[in-house]
Amino acid sequence: MRFAYYPGCSAQSTCKELNAATHVVASKLGLDLIELPSAGCTGSRELRAIDPDLFLALNARLLALAEANGLPLMTVCNTCTLNFLDVNKTLSEEPMRLAAVNAILAKQGLTYRGTTRVSHFLWVLLEDIGEARLRALVVRRLSGLRVAAFYGCHITRPPAHFGFVDSRNARAIETVNAILGCESIDYSGRTECCGFHTAAHEEKIAIKLTGRHIKSAKDNGAGAIVTPCPLCHTVLDTFQDQMERDLGSELGMPILHLPQLVGLAIGVAPAQLGVDHHMVPFDLALD
Amino acid sequence: MAERPQVAPAARNFGRDETGDSPAARLARLKEGDTVTAHISRWDPGTEPAPRFETYRVPYTKWMRVLEVLTYVSEEIGGDLAHRWFCANRMCGTCAVRVNGREVLACWEPVEPEMTIEPLRNAPVVRDLVIDRSGYEQRVSGLVPWLERREPYRGFPEPLTHPAMAAADKALDCISCMCCFSACPVIGLGDETKFAGPAPLVQLARVALDPRDGIDRGRIALERGAVFDCVSCYKCEEVCPVSIPIVTGSIEPLKALAFKSLPRKSRHARVFLAIVRSRGRIDPSALVLGVQRLTALRHPLRVLKLWRHGKIDPLKTLFGFRLPDIAQIRQIFEAVRGGSR
Repeated sequence: MRFAYYPGCSAQSTCKELNAATHVVASKLGLDLIELPSAGCTGSRELRAIDPDLFLALNARLLALAEANGLPLMTVCNTCTLNFLDVNKTLSEEPMRLAAVNAILAKQGLTYRGTTRVSHFLWVLLEDIGEARLRALVVRRLSGLRVAAFYGCHITRPPAHFGFVDSRNARAIETVNAILGCESIDYSGRTECCGFHTAAHEEKIAIKLTGRHIKSAKDNGAGAIVTPCPLCHTVLDTFQDQMERDLGSELGMPILHLPQLVGLAIGVAPAQLGVDHHMVPFDLALD
Repeated sequence: MAERPQVAPAARNFGRDETGDSPAARLARLKEGDTVTAHISRWDPGTEPAPRFETYRVPYTKWMRVLEVLTYVSEEIGGDLAHRWFCANRMCGTCAVRVNGREVLACWEPVEPEMTIEPLRNAPVVRDLVIDRSGYEQRVSGLVPWLERREPYRGFPEPLTHPAMAAADKALDCISCMCCFSACPVIGLGDETKFAGPAPLVQLARVALDPRDGIDRGRIALERGAVFDCVSCYKCEEVCPVSIPIVTGSIEPLKALAFKSLPRKSRHARVFLAIVRSRGRIDPSALVLGVQRLTALRHPLRVLKLWRHGKIDPLKTLFGFRLPDIAQIRQIFEAVRGGSR
């Protein structure tokens, strides 16, 4: 199964371990990842707001690169996923804007027809690899590990677009957890916001928003939080010491990237998954 | 014409069957003669220290909505239940409550077999399900959400086209029900931020995106509305009973106006744009340093710890990483934005 792979900015800077884990886990899962050459930023939601035409063109370039290779595009970042889905939708519904974007891309020898299928690693696990094959690949069931899913926003919302129905119904991570043998716990933050998108200019929003959810996960017995998004991971992991100060209580909650959790169950060594790069240490002690 | 991508959204909908989103699916779980169990929040802040839930059992009638349950409880069971409603037709926006944790219009929401019904968040409770809207209304009026014309009114009928009003069109559907205001996590932080909140910004967008308006709405959005404190979580859109694209249709256009009016004060957006132009990709450390400047280094031990864990790479940040094909990114910037920074 071949995918064009777009790691995004965070997986190549603050969360390099995610990029490394994705490569090693994908290879074990039988995914052939073709990394896009010179993959630039998708613009977060910031560029979409301040310059929608630039946002369209930057993303169309990446979608066109995948299309030129005849490959679906896989990401490991919620916001990048939403950006690609968003641009695909706009370009498929507004031919004049597609023509304008293609006029720009033509100077780079590219054109976009709008056919690139966009998926996220989480969805690839369930839609492309499938539950049965994933279950067969598990060599070490993570029994005894109680995991809280932190979905983040941009692969569950906005509602009524891109196949999203109602974020309360999100079950994809819990489904994966069950296949891997770990127990899912319910808590306040499953589909809440980590505040990353204001974290650079207003850290306290992220700290205040997310600290309470980590505490809720802890109070409900979670041994780790797993997230499909490196932006959420950055807030949950690197800001956790500040959340502890803000809450006045110890959290010590390990935060795992989704490919890391999968990797642990399919027999990848923790060191290869880069879990030692996290600010909050994770020690896999199973029943 | 672009071909529509083939998307297989199965993993996005896991759980849909067991929880049933659509009104039809939910109503199919009840039939006449069944009982609806409602746990309703009761509280008189003047005499009671904290809210409590009281449980009521109401006979289900076909196509029953939450408002009918509240009316039944107040008229047939607990005569002193306070709740607010007027039109019962999704127009007046006064009956919003939270059902099973989600903001809804009581008049429009199908009942669940068992449900908790609570007042909206982010506003003081007057009694039971009635909230004090005055704080919200003051926020709205503080944004001057009425047309301020630069040119004198030319009299009726005023020429106005659909394309000219397209940007403001959806915002005009807002019924000020406060569902989004209650769901917004940033508003939930109280005085921690000056963020005006989704509904007040929709009210601002109604006039900011109206071609007849003539004052600097970008300045108002930034200075009075702290529009860049929106975290783009879309929780507001999830609860909007009239399906306004609040983030993409109101808040983002206001951010664009703010950036245009006050680029220096829109620091995050300006630095973000500059980094993508110069490097092709965001280096989060460069972004934080560009936005916070030297205050980003106020916790040197923390910076060292981040470095030790490979979370930051000061050398790359200071000496500039660039994508190998940065010329292609710059070409796109040039084609779309020309010389503007």
